[in-house]
Amino acid sequence: MMTAGDASTRPYLTIIATGRNDDFGGDFNGRFFRALHFNHQQLSAAGIAHEFVFVEWRPIDTRPLLASLLADEFAAVTSLSLRCYVVDPAYHDALSLNPRLQFQEFIAKNVGLRRARGEFVLTTNTDIYLSRRVIARLQERTLAPGVLYRAARHDLKPERDVSAVDWDLLEDERNCEVVNGIQPPLFTNASGDFLLLDRQSSHRLRGFNEIYRVAKIHIDGNFCVKAYASGIRIVDIGAPVYHVGRGTLHAQIGMYRARSHEAPWGDMRWKSDMIYENSDAWGLGLARERAIDRGTTFLAFDWHAVGPMVDLGRVMSSRKRQERAS
Amino acid sequence: MKRPFRILGLVRGRSYDALAEQQKKAEARAGQLIRHLEEAKANSRLWKMKAEEASGALKKAQDAAESAQRQRRQAEKLSAEAEKQRQVAQNRSADFALLQRRLAESEHELSVAREQLMAIEVKLDILEGAANVLDGRTRDVIARRSGTESGTAV
Repeated sequence: MMTAGDASTRPYLTIIATGRNDDFGGDFNGRFFRALHFNHQQLSAAGIAHEFVFVEWRPIDTRPLLASLLADEFAAVTSLSLRCYVVDPAYHDALSLNPRLQFQEFIAKNVGLRRARGEFVLTTNTDIYLSRRVIARLQERTLAPGVLYRAARHDLKPERDVSAVDWDLLEDERNCEVVNGIQPPLFTNASGDFLLLDRQSSHRLRGFNEIYRVAKIHIDGNFCVKAYASGIRIVDIGAPVYHVGRGTLHAQIGMYRARSHEAPWGDMRWKSDMIYENSDAWGLGLARERAIDRGTTFLAFDWHAVGPMVDLGRVMSSRKRQERAS
Repeated sequence: MKRPFRILGLVRGRSYDALAEQQKKAEARAGQLIRHLEEAKANSRLWKMKAEEASGALKKAQDAAESAQRQRRQAEKLSAEAEKQRQVAQNRSADFALLQRRLAESEHELSVAREQLMAIEVKLDILEGAANVLDGRTRDVIARRSGTESGTAV
């Protein structure tokens, strides 16, 4: 059953992911649904109260909403607390500082982060599978507030048949192609796949950078930089998450090596170790909301919800941020 | 009666004995003197040798004293030099500490300057992005206007 969630019953965990019905990376919806089924089953089996928040950014007007397909897919799964936010595509255009970027993933994640109800919030990607030990750690309910938990991503060989994912498939070392290790103090590698932090701290940080919108790559790592500079401790949760294949970035990166300025993720060399302080209106906090479908809310476009195109005063060094934090 | 004997070179026996005795004593005395002389000569040689030795020792002592004097002067010179070097080292130590402080300050300033430069680069990126987007929007507006105005006689 799709539920809009009850504000009085706060789940322990909110999982946030974003996407749209554009078949990004091939079989996007199938990969998304399989991972969501799996993660929900495991979390439910462990008795972990959770909700799932999906943000559909820049929906394609010629295709059905992915949020609707999601609602159809999980219509029979009564135990799943699923909320979807569909963002008016005009926000993408209004916020764009680089027309090559087709999808502002982290502003979309901020939309979910701002509206999360869980005690802890996991921002991840749609095709990430939680590991048995991550589930166990969540089940213990020993996560500390003010600590950003990171997990290494294990990439499975893409030729594996993932139509039926189970622990045996995920945990079999023979299926693992690459381990994306994480290193202190910032643990930035592949951080977009697993950033777990208490909701209050997430809100205090005001989510991912929305100021520098010329590139979308490494915004996840930049969140680690901001968290660290703000006094948040970053730790390895000590368990992996899984992903089938090495991801679309890895697949495409070679195509743009010689013309990085044309890449759909922007220039990789942008200054991701600077701090970008979002305004109070982060995560489209001022956007008008309208219920449109089963558990789905539409964020209608409103210029008041869009900050200034350029807000240079919100760019600062990590040193300055640390001074402020202290 | 005595005189004639003397004239003839004759002496009485008693006188002769006395004279002989005197001669004997004189000879003994002469012998003794000769021995004393020899002894004196030997002593003289001994003393001369000792004097030479003393003179040599004196010379050595004088040389040693001169050497000691030279060494003392050298030591004083070295001591003065050491004091000078100690002073130099002390000054250098103070200079080094100062330089270390300045280096740390410079490193900090460099780091701040780098961060500021980075912030400026970021801001320029943002401004460039905004300018490009606005340029695109402006071109769209102009293109749309031009489209509606196409065919108008100019």
